[in-house]
Formats: sequence, C-alpha cells, structure tokens
Amino acid sequence: MAAETQTLESPNTTAKGFALTSAFWMMIATFFGLLGATELVAPDLTENIGGIVFGRVRPTHVNLVLFGFVTPGLLSAAFYFIPRLLRTRLFSERLGVFTVVVWNIALVGAVATLAAGFTQGREYAELIWPIDIMVVAAFSLVFYNFIMTVKNRQEPILYVSVWYVLAGTILTACTFALGNVIWKPDSGALVGIHDAILLWFYGHNVFGLLLTPLSAAVAYYVIPRACRAPLYSHTLSLLGFWALIVVYTHIGTHHLLQVPVPTWLKVVAIVDSVAMVIPVMAFLINIWYTAKGRLGEIHADIGAKFVFTGTIMYFFVSIQGSLMALPDVQRVTHFNNWVVAHAHIGVLGFAGMIALGGLYYTIPKLSGKPLYSRFLADFQYWMVLIGMVGFTVVLTIAGLIQGNAWLNGETVYRVLPEIHVYYVVRAGLGLMIFSSAVLGFYNIVRSLFGKTGASS
Amino acid sequence: MYYPYFIAYITIGLTISLVVFYWAFKTGQFTDQQRARFLPLRDDADHPPVKATRFNRIEIYGLFFLAAAGLGATAAVLTFALYFSK
Repeated sequence: MAAETQTLESPNTTAKGFALTSAFWMMIATFFGLLGATELVAPDLTENIGGIVFGRVRPTHVNLVLFGFVTPGLLSAAFYFIPRLLRTRLFSERLGVFTVVVWNIALVGAVATLAAGFTQGREYAELIWPIDIMVVAAFSLVFYNFIMTVKNRQEPILYVSVWYVLAGTILTACTFALGNVIWKPDSGALVGIHDAILLWFYGHNVFGLLLTPLSAAVAYYVIPRACRAPLYSHTLSLLGFWALIVVYTHIGTHHLLQVPVPTWLKVVAIVDSVAMVIPVMAFLINIWYTAKGRLGEIHADIGAKFVFTGTIMYFFVSIQGSLMALPDVQRVTHFNNWVVAHAHIGVLGFAGMIALGGLYYTIPKLSGKPLYSRFLADFQYWMVLIGMVGFTVVLTIAGLIQGNAWLNGETVYRVLPEIHVYYVVRAGLGLMIFSSAVLGFYNIVRSLFGKTGASS
Repeated sequence: MYYPYFIAYITIGLTISLVVFYWAFKTGQFTDQQRARFLPLRDDADHPPVKATRFNRIEIYGLFFLAAAGLGATAAVLTFALYFSK
C-alpha cells in the first residue's frame, strides 16, 4: 500500500515532457509531409529554396515522424505505466527530464542539419554522426532509467508491457548504432552492397524493433484497463514477445530481393517475414479477446479507441508486409507508392494511432483532471482515420499503376501524368492530417496546463 | 565484408537473449501467469470530469470552425484539381 501511495505521488514530469514533445513534433512532422506531398504535385513551388527542396523535406518528415511524434508519444505512456506496473517510482525523474531535453535538442539538430544539406544519404539513416550519437545516448538513457526502475520494483512479475518497452529501447540503441555505422563518423556507411544489407537490416528494425514493441506495450496496458478486464492470456503475450524477438531481427533483406545479395540471406528474410504472422496473431488474438464483448468501454474512452483502431491497422499492415516479402508479389509492389501506402498504414495507422491513444489515455492521469476536450480528440481521431485510410487507397492505386508500368517497361514520363491526380488527393489528405495535429497539440497543451475542461 | 558485423550482432544478440530468458525462467517470470493477467488493473481510479465554462465552449466552437474550414479548403483543392484544372 505504501508503494501505491508513492506511485500516486509521482510528478510524472518525464511523461509530460515526452507528451508535449510528441504533440509538438507531430505538427512539424506532418507539415513537412504536407510540404513534400505538395512539391510532388507542383515541383516548381519551392524552386531555388535550397532548404526545403524535396530531397531534404522527405528525410526531415520521415525522421520527425519516427523520432519526433510516434516514439515520444509511446514513451510518454511508457513512462507513466512502467512504474505503476512495477509498483514503484520511476528511478529518476531528473534523468528522464534530461533525456527529454537531449531528445529535443537532437530533433532540432536533425531539422537544421537536414535543411542545411548535411546528410549521410542513406534512407532512414540520413542523420549525421553528432545527431546519431545523441539519438543513441537518448535511447540508452531511457533504457537505463527503465532498467533501474525494474531493479527497484516491488512487483516480482514483469508484465508483458515491461518486457516490450525494455526490449524496444535497448534493441533500438544497438540497432541504431550498428545501422548508422557510427564507428565511421565521416561517411556513416560501409561500401557497396554490404552497406545496403546493413542499411536495410537497420531500416526495417528501426520500425519493427522500436515502434512495434512500444505500441504493443501501450496496447497491452490500455486495452485491459479501458475494458476493466484482465488480459486474455499473459502466457500468449509472452509467446508473442519472444517470437517477435526471434523473428523480427533479421527480415530487413526483404527490401533487397531484386539486388545481388546472397540467396541464403534472402531466404531467411522471406521465411521470417511470413513467420511474422505468429507474433502478430498472438498479439492481436490476445488484445481482441480481451476486448471481446466490451467494445462499449473501448468506444467510451478516446485513448482506448485510438489504440484499438491501431491494432486493426496492425493486422492489415502485417498481413500486407508478409505478402510483400514474396518475390512474385514484390515484382509489382516494390519501388513505387504501394510501399509508401504500406508505410503510412504502419507508422500512422498502427504506431501513430496507438501513440495518440497512449497520450489521450494517460494525459488525464498525468494532469489529474479530464481531457480538455473529448470533442476535439474525437474530431482528431476521425481526421487521422479518414486521412490515413485515404492515403492508403490513393497511394495503393498509384503504386499499382507504377508497378505495372515498371513491369511492362513503360517510361517514367508517361506514367507520371497517370498518377498526378492521386498525388493531388494525397496532398489534400495531408492537409487534413496536419490540421488534426494542430488540434491535437492545442488539446494536449490545454489538458496539461489549463485549469478547466471544455464542453464535450 | 558484412559478415563480421552480422556474426557479431547475431552472437551478442543471441547471448543476451538467452541470458535474459534464463534469468526470466529462474526468477519465475513464467509462473503465476493468472495473476499477471490482472497486473494492469491494480491502479488509481479515474478522476471525475470537471465542469465546462461558457468561454471554453465558445473556444471549442471556434476551433471546430477552423478545423471545418481546413476540411473545406481540402475539399476545394480536390474539386479544383479534379474538375477545373484541365
């Protein structure tokens, strides 16, 4: 009981810091996405403005969504629930706040350096060496804070969310260091095909071993609480966790099926990509059976609504991902907008939705009062959902047009007019996502710092 | 050569995973799974809602108007692009 009182007295400063980080950078990240989408419709729009040419806007968007919006949103929830699940206080709020500061300095540095043209030119690993070091340091600090909290715990059993958070943070610290080749500060790269293999080993793991475990952790906490029901099976959840660790760590080469990498590596990547069905279904069956017959409770809680929707998107993106690793499917779907659609279902539809759900679920608890506006949160939910589904539809169509043209040997300049209309729709939907991010930021700031709630 | 990096990563990763799995096994992490199902439910109760003020209601309507305007602008861009820009 003493431990529970201690936990309740926690100031949750770190969780609040990551919540604000996520809400703020979601605005900036989606703005860069909108800007990039607009440049694809009107390439001359930003002509001669070096800092915001498409080649700089795109990596800025991707890195900010990954490290600015989604990861801090998930970490905010984790910093709230990890001490509670362990019946103790966070090891160090001061260290947590320091981590938030380092994290935000790294993000500002990322935007400034990418805009200035400083890049290592490797997809998802564009950030230059000093920023790489800050990212690795930030993840290491987060892991240290969590593992020391685990060490001080009063609850002997580690709930599955704790497993996922610990694995996600330490694996990302290692994978990021390896994938960004931080022992070669000048280039951040190996040479030739070896670098491609290492890059895509990292490129897939930075999503699969960061966003997936953290999202699963949040879902495993929020859904049982929102439903006021125990988890369907903790054994099944641990089975899914260990299966994820075994399977997900080496599927990155499925990005390189059409290039000369060793066949054995391709086979490992394809087989394990299909085997991902095991951890995915273990997770989904567990969550959906926990919520079975309790969808009313899910609907009543805006955080749980976001999270549950994210689990549905996880189903789609995972099944799609397994099929996309098959060489015959990939002949049409690779190197075109199909992959962009897939990435948006995964990062926005799955992990982004769960990050927002985690924020909306925990913020009333962090602030000690209800959400400022349930209406605005609901409105944001529908904007994100419609925007994300819209992205998926138009980019999938554009991708299939491009893929078939690629397969048939058509020239690019004949295909671009055919997909122009889909780019326009994508930019329109991007405006909607950006608007939703502004509303979300306002709602979260007022919820944390306002004195009263608004009409819901 | 990428092999040394992969072999090192796989070896280190596998070793750490096995050590952690062994620790979990020894400390009883895989026992008492029935109790583990209830762990998220032991927590503080939710707070009751506070009353909304008139000013905040007006503010929300204003934000709703802005968001609706954003959606309208989106629809206008699409309409223009699809029907009037040929």
